[in-house]
Amino acid sequence: MSRWTLNIFCLLVYIFLMAPIIVVIGASLNAGAFLTFPPQGLSLRWYVTFFHNDVFLRAIGTSLWVAAIATFFSVIIGTMAALYYVHFAGKRKEWLRVALISPLLLPEILTAVALLFFLYGVGIGTKTMFGMLVGHVLMTLPFVFMNVSASLESYDTDWTMAARSLGAKPWVRFRRIVLPLIKPGLIGGTLFSFVISFDIYTISLLLKSIGTATLPIQLFDYLKTNYTPEAAAVSSVSILATLAVVIFVEKVVGLKVHKF
Amino acid sequence: MTEVRLDGLTKIYSGHKPAVDAISLTIPSGQFVSLLGPSGCGKTTTLKMLAGFEDVSSGAITFDGQDVVRVPAEDRDIGMVFQNYALFPHMTVFQNLAFGLEMRKIGKAEIKRRVQATLEMVQLDHLADRYPAQLSGGQQQRVAIGRALVIEPRILLLDEPLANLDAKLREEMRVFIRALQKRVGITTVYVTHDQAEAMTMSDLVVVMFDGTIAQAGAPSEIYEQPRSATVAGFVGQVNLIPAVVEAHRPDHVDTPFGEIPLPFPAQPGAKVTLVLRPEAVDLHRADAGQGVPAKVISLQYSGAIVDYVLEFADGTRMDVKTIPRHRVMVGDEVRLSVDPSRFWMLDGEG
Repeated sequence: MSRWTLNIFCLLVYIFLMAPIIVVIGASLNAGAFLTFPPQGLSLRWYVTFFHNDVFLRAIGTSLWVAAIATFFSVIIGTMAALYYVHFAGKRKEWLRVALISPLLLPEILTAVALLFFLYGVGIGTKTMFGMLVGHVLMTLPFVFMNVSASLESYDTDWTMAARSLGAKPWVRFRRIVLPLIKPGLIGGTLFSFVISFDIYTISLLLKSIGTATLPIQLFDYLKTNYTPEAAAVSSVSILATLAVVIFVEKVVGLKVHKF
Repeated sequence: MTEVRLDGLTKIYSGHKPAVDAISLTIPSGQFVSLLGPSGCGKTTTLKMLAGFEDVSSGAITFDGQDVVRVPAEDRDIGMVFQNYALFPHMTVFQNLAFGLEMRKIGKAEIKRRVQATLEMVQLDHLADRYPAQLSGGQQQRVAIGRALVIEPRILLLDEPLANLDAKLREEMRVFIRALQKRVGITTVYVTHDQAEAMTMSDLVVVMFDGTIAQAGAPSEIYEQPRSATVAGFVGQVNLIPAVVEAHRPDHVDTPFGEIPLPFPAQPGAKVTLVLRPEAVDLHRADAGQGVPAKVISLQYSGAIVDYVLEFADGTRMDVKTIPRHRVMVGDEVRLSVDPSRFWMLDGEG
């Protein structure tokens, strides 16, 4: 394939991937009263409507919180799992990997139903956010695990031994040597986890407590009875919010990767 | 300056025969000791036990009489140089060297001074701000040595540190490491499978096979007075010549190519094996009037030195390595002689 055709091909793939986002953002700028694309006149009125709509604002807040808390636990558990997997699992390695990514292999609805039965079975139920958070951690864990373990595969255990010989205790070794060297995988995993959690629908629907709603749930709920560009405005804001998180993490934590 | 003693040191991985089998060794303070052997002989396992990276199954390791078997690696105060250097890729050369000093809670100014001094010693002071990936193999090697030495450890351990360097650099580094070790005066244990490295660098060479020490001694002792045919063969090319000690003259042996005087008397009538290095043989023209006649079967020319395979009248062969004084071709008849002092003798058939 010549360079030219390759360029064209890549462009088409990008257009295919970006088109829905462009349509959503375009539709959100609609001046008319219905969700259509191309927009009938440009206006920010549906953004104004959205920013005065408490239900959506609360839903976005809930989604951000759930994503943040789920990601926090996923990153800790997933990183520990990856460390064990790469350095100590030995013969159990393959088995462990399949077990840890199984939430991705099962249909989400099955995981959700199983968790629902489990939560009621052990008497926790869905009165609190706890059940939903467990669900979100379960669904995001594989992404942290896969990213971090990929980073760890290129981690040379001699670095740990070198640090030991120089007098570093376990926690110092982790903080000064392991952590900086698996940072790319850790950041990738964190971002994936956050974005995936923000997007989860089925698990949230089955496991949410009464009265709480995450953004995807609220959006579906809204679209059942309304068909205004406000839905597109909400989607656009959530896309921007996700993008903001990605940029924030990149700038603050940094994605600088060292060659080795 | 630390004297290291191994006493019945053993490592057994469950279900296997011992990787290291009850070895005992004293490494005098300030000496450079090589553990030499083929892969799987237990030399690296021994080093890891010294470093504290492997648990000891039984036996003792003492530094200046202090048992360190229960001391974890991070408290053992050793400097370790790894085969692949194991430099921290996210730290500069300076930070790599400073790491061990930071672990010892040394002040910033003092760290700076000591790192600087060590970098000068390993001739890298101009590269302090580089990252390991920006350095050549030889430079990385010197950073690794600097990082191990800057903490002023009790002993220095090196695990095949030259294995990843090209031949020319390897020779330079041998000289460099040995000179540095002498200057610092640190007790050093060096693991290698390369007999030339072990020979040129060490005060003491410890040859290991199958988890045991086959022989420990000065390089010349290992080479000239090997305790077994295996040791003789591992540290260089060797001719093993079956011989019988003469019954009436116990300071002479019979060999396929003549009677040879021994430098020492032996048990009359005993079967022995003579050990003869190829370079100990002198080659003469066929008309020389002295020496055992033989025929050149093949030769390998490498400039200053030529390797010959010679065959005697009875069909036995011998490797000979000489600096040739006259041209010898394949098929030529030659005569050869050996100074009796160049023979070494093993009991039995090797």
